[in-house]
This record gives sequence, C-alpha cells and structure tokens, in this order.
Amino acid sequence: MLESLQYIYAPQMLNGLSIGVAVILMALGLTIIFGLLDVINMSHGEFYAAGAFFSVSLMAMGVSFWLCLVLVPLLLLPIGFAMERLLIQKVFHYKDRHILTLLLTFGVAMVLEDSYKIIWGSNPIKPPAPISGASELLGVMFPNYRLFVMAFGALLIFAVWLLIYKTQIGAIVRAAAFDKEMSSSLGIPVMLVYALTFALGVALAGLAGVLLAPIYSVFPTMGHDFILLAFSVVIVGGLGSIKGAVVAGILLTQLQSISSLYISPVWSDPLVFTVMVLVLMFKPTGLYGGMKNG
Amino acid sequence: MKKYFKKKQITQIIMLAALSLGATLAIAQTGPIKIGVVTPLSGTYTPIGEQVKMGLDLAAKEINAKGGINGRKIDLIYEDEEANPAVATQKAEKLFQVEKVDFLTGTVNSGSTLAVGQVAERNKKLIATTVSFADSITGDKCSPNVFRVNARAGMQSAALAAWVDKEIPKANIFFIGPDYLMGRSTVSAFKKASTEKGAKDVGEVFAPLGNKDYSPYFGQVRSAKPNVIYTSVAGNDTVRLFTQMDDYGINKGVTIVGASGTVTSQNLGAIGKSANGFVTGVGYSPKLDNPANKQFVADFQKAYSKLPDLYGADSYGLLYFYKAAVEKAKSTDTDKVRAAMNDLSWQTPQGIKKMRAGDHQAMQDMFAVRIENGEFNIVGMVAADQAIGPDVCDRF
Repeated sequence: MLESLQYIYAPQMLNGLSIGVAVILMALGLTIIFGLLDVINMSHGEFYAAGAFFSVSLMAMGVSFWLCLVLVPLLLLPIGFAMERLLIQKVFHYKDRHILTLLLTFGVAMVLEDSYKIIWGSNPIKPPAPISGASELLGVMFPNYRLFVMAFGALLIFAVWLLIYKTQIGAIVRAAAFDKEMSSSLGIPVMLVYALTFALGVALAGLAGVLLAPIYSVFPTMGHDFILLAFSVVIVGGLGSIKGAVVAGILLTQLQSISSLYISPVWSDPLVFTVMVLVLMFKPTGLYGGMKNG
Repeated sequence: MKKYFKKKQITQIIMLAALSLGATLAIAQTGPIKIGVVTPLSGTYTPIGEQVKMGLDLAAKEINAKGGINGRKIDLIYEDEEANPAVATQKAEKLFQVEKVDFLTGTVNSGSTLAVGQVAERNKKLIATTVSFADSITGDKCSPNVFRVNARAGMQSAALAAWVDKEIPKANIFFIGPDYLMGRSTVSAFKKASTEKGAKDVGEVFAPLGNKDYSPYFGQVRSAKPNVIYTSVAGNDTVRLFTQMDDYGINKGVTIVGASGTVTSQNLGAIGKSANGFVTGVGYSPKLDNPANKQFVADFQKAYSKLPDLYGADSYGLLYFYKAAVEKAKSTDTDKVRAAMNDLSWQTPQGIKKMRAGDHQAMQDMFAVRIENGEFNIVGMVAADQAIGPDVCDRF
C-alpha cells in the first residue's frame, strides 16, 4: 500500500502538478481578461503560440532563454494593447458584446495560426531545455526543467495575484471592473486600464509559451493544446478569479492524472468536462466568485 | 436540282456535326488526366501531406516532361483534408463531381482512406493510398475501388518483429499507441507478430491523438519493466513522446521500436538526439542501394533540398503505377484500369513492386532501419513474400 503510494500515486500527482502549473499559467491571462473586460478571448491560445515562436526565433538569433523570458512578454505587451484598442474596442460597446468579441477573437486566432504556418512552416520545432538532466524525487526521476517550470510558475501566479489584490494598480483595475462609470468619474482612465489589462493577459499567455516550448515543442496549431482545459479551469474556478483558477487548475489536472491510472486516457478529457458541466449546473458562478468580488 | 442541294446540305450538316462530336471526343482523350489529391495540408499530419505533395509533384513533372501518359499530361488537383475523414469525404466528393477527376489519392489518416474509398465506389472511380497503414484497408474492409501501393502495418510489423526477435530474443514489450484506427491496428499487428516469435506483452496504453503530455503514463511503463517499447504515434506526438521519455529517463536500457510513420524526416529535426537508437520496419529508406532510388533521391533533393521519406517515395511511385496501368489499359476507364492494375508489376524507388490482385495490396521487400545521429541506417531485410501475409479480402 505504502509502496504503491510512493511509486505510483506520488509521481503521478507530481506529473499532474507539472501539467497543472502549465494549465494555470494559460488560465491566468484568460481569467484576468474575462474578469475585467468581460471578453472571452478565443485567441489566447494563439498568443501562447506567439510567445513560443518568438522565443524560438530570438534563440536562433543567439538570445539566451533567460532573456527571452523577459523579452517575449515585453514584445507581446504592445501587440495586446493594440489589439484591444484597434479591434476589441470597435465592438465593445454593442449590446451583444459577448458574441461579437467571441467571433472577433476567434477570427484573430485563425489569422494568427495561418500566419505562423506561413512564417515558421508546419514542421514542429523543439527548443532545447535550458536546464538539462533529471533529479531523483520520490524514488523516480523527474526532469529538472519541469521542476523549474513548477517553481517559476508558482512564483509568477503569486506575483500576479499580489499585483491584482495587493497593489494600488490592482485596486484601480478591480475598481474599473466593479463599476466603470463610478471609476471613470473618480478620474481613473478606464479605457487605458482596459487596454493595459488585455495586454497583460496576452503577455502572460506569451510567457507561458516561452516556458512550455521546451517541454511541449512548437508548431502552428499548438494554441489548441491547453486552451480547452484552460477554459474549463476558468469556468470551474469562477470567471475572473485567480484563486479559483489555481484551485480548479490543480483539481482538474490531478483528476486527469490519477484517473488515467484506471481508465483509458481518452476518457480523462470527458471526465474533466463532466466536472465542468456539473459546476455550471449547480454553481454557475464557479467555485470562487470573480475579480469584482475581491 | 434543288432537292439534290438540300440533300447535300443535310449531309454536310451531319458530317459537320459528326466532326465536331469527334473533336470533343478527341479533346476528352487528349486533355490532361486529372488526378485529385485529398491530403492533410493543415493540422498534425501536415508534414506527411507535404511529403505526399512533393513526391506526386516530382513524378508528375517527370512524366509530363516525357510526354505524359498516352500523350496526355497529368494535372494534380489538391484539396486539404485536415486529417479528418468527414472533411476528406466532402473534398473527395467535390473532386469527383465538380472537377471530374479520373483518379484520386493522398489520404493519410486510415479513417479518411476508408471513407474516401466509399465515395469512390459511389462515383465508380478508383483511389489509391500511399500512406495509410491500417491492415483493414486491404483486409476485411477492402474495396474493389481502393488500392494501396505502400506497405501496410502488418508488413512493417513482420520486418520489425523479425529484427527484434534476432537482436533481443524473448523481449518484454510495452505498447504505446495513439487511440484511433491506425494506432490500434499497428499495435495489434506488432503484438501478434512479436508474441508469435516468443516476445512477452507486458502492458499497453492508448493516448488520445494530439496528446500533449505523456508523463502521466510513465508510471505504468516503469512498473511494467519492459526492455522494448513499441510505439505507433506520429507527427508532433512523436516529438513530445520521445523528448519526454528522454527527459524522464524512460528510454534508459530500453530499445524503442515503432511504426515507420513514427519518426520521419519532418519531425526528426525536432526530436533530435532523443530519436537515437529507434528501430522501425519500413518499406523505404533513402539509403536503399539501387540505381532507381539513387536517381530518385538525387532528383528529390535537387527539387526540394531535403531527403524523401517513405511517404514521398511511395507517392512518387504511385504515379508510375497509375501510368503503367493506364498505358496497359489504353484508357482511363475505371473497369479497364482496375483490370490493368491487378497483378501489375512496376518500377519504384524500392525496386519492382507487384500489386496483388486478391486484395489490392502492393508486395515489396521490407527493411529494418535504425536512427543514428539523424540518419536512417538499414539494419535488416525481409523478402516480399515473407512479409506480405495472407490475403484475407473476400469482397472481390
């Protein structure tokens, strides 16, 4: 019993955790953009791919991986900013905003995916892991780079949480989300806050792309990989809630990981979506409220 | 007199009509032969679709430069099937109905090939696959309208099982496959071929197509303690499986073998050194030492500055198969071409192939190849009649 716990369940949970951090990183940008702007960004996965492709090209030019971790999100900030200002704002004020922004971002996703195909080709690219080797953990080998991604990811998630809930900038963002008119009349540049928050979400997706590229490899359709799971995490956790994204991210990936020991892996995805449907049925707001309730 | 003229005029009109009719008939026989290609130009199988296209384009260019087939040029019409049988059938239907293609090829996903085979039967046209491995295509789901010029899973398995039995007798084998028709059929084919030779099946896992992380299955692999792992994942999935196995040290002291589509020149670059030591049974290697292959490899490299893989070679060989059949039939008529294809022998980069009439499966020599530093080196060979297996098709 103890042995199976050590050699089967513990490594399995550790694997699940490593995937969980990846999913939470993806869900983070999504949930922030939804929580504040009330926009479902269907092109989030493609910005994740953009981050991965940018890092591949930068590294080919001789830029180190560590510098890419800083440079790529900085490159994506103006892109996200411009997209919010030039595209999202065009349809933002219509009554059927949800559908319009959904269609708009979905269109952007398709354009981006095909652009990657034209620029970088369809063949997969595998950037080398910046940290090689594996460490013995719980009796099995675990790649060092994955340990780094888990630690770095946890720090990043914590930093974003601090930013939104514990700083003045965060207070402004939450105020704008809570009551647009009131914030505006108090002198908060709401439109600028919107664009910057969208840019932050996009930059986070790009950062996830840089971090995960050495594990999952890079190709034009990679944006579809985590997006469904990330959407489920955002819905289960509560739209706009960072705490919810973390809890739901860990919950769902552990469920997937442990269940794959007993059922065919093909059934672990439906299992996750079943949980999502159940949450929607009994607690439509998700496990935790939203950014506005912070 | 008047009456005579009238009669003459009528004769002239009839003659004119006959002439113009003859002219249109002549156009139908001398216009280009249209060949539809329904192949994945987007999605996870894009790299395979690209080789298919390169092989076909090269062969068409060569054949057209030498005067075409019976004096008619080949016109290739491409459609993207997105490795999705539903899309493939739509595109095939369109090519048959709208473009009026004479022949169709290119399907990669075995499900697409089977589905498009049904479309071909309804449209009374012939198709051939140059990629799909599933045994059922020329086995229990065989069709009088479907031909396969590439080696099927069973033939690859026979070659690979013979190699494993020689190098690692009584191996403990773990199986990792993608969960769909091709994955399941390649795994079951190799399981059958290897256990018949005395190897032991110690476990299996089927991951979804396009799976991102294989680490959750490594616990099962470890506890099964295999000394051989067989896999039939393909495309980007292989990149992830191999590099992740390497990261976790799963491949230490284990020989990784697999389906021939698992590692190709398209994904080998991304897999890098994690592919070293991988052994597979194939119907083709660019290293095959025969004049036809050397010429083909040189021309292919000149045209695309990259090496052909088995998909490129088999797709290239397909047009010569079709050419030989149409020249023998002296027509593009479905029934005549089908009759000409049966038991037809033709020259390919792999040497002479022969189309078995009983199930429409091409017979050819098979090879075991091992990847060493990005090169496929030939490490064994199985003769065509040893690898082909019994004809189990009973539909025609």
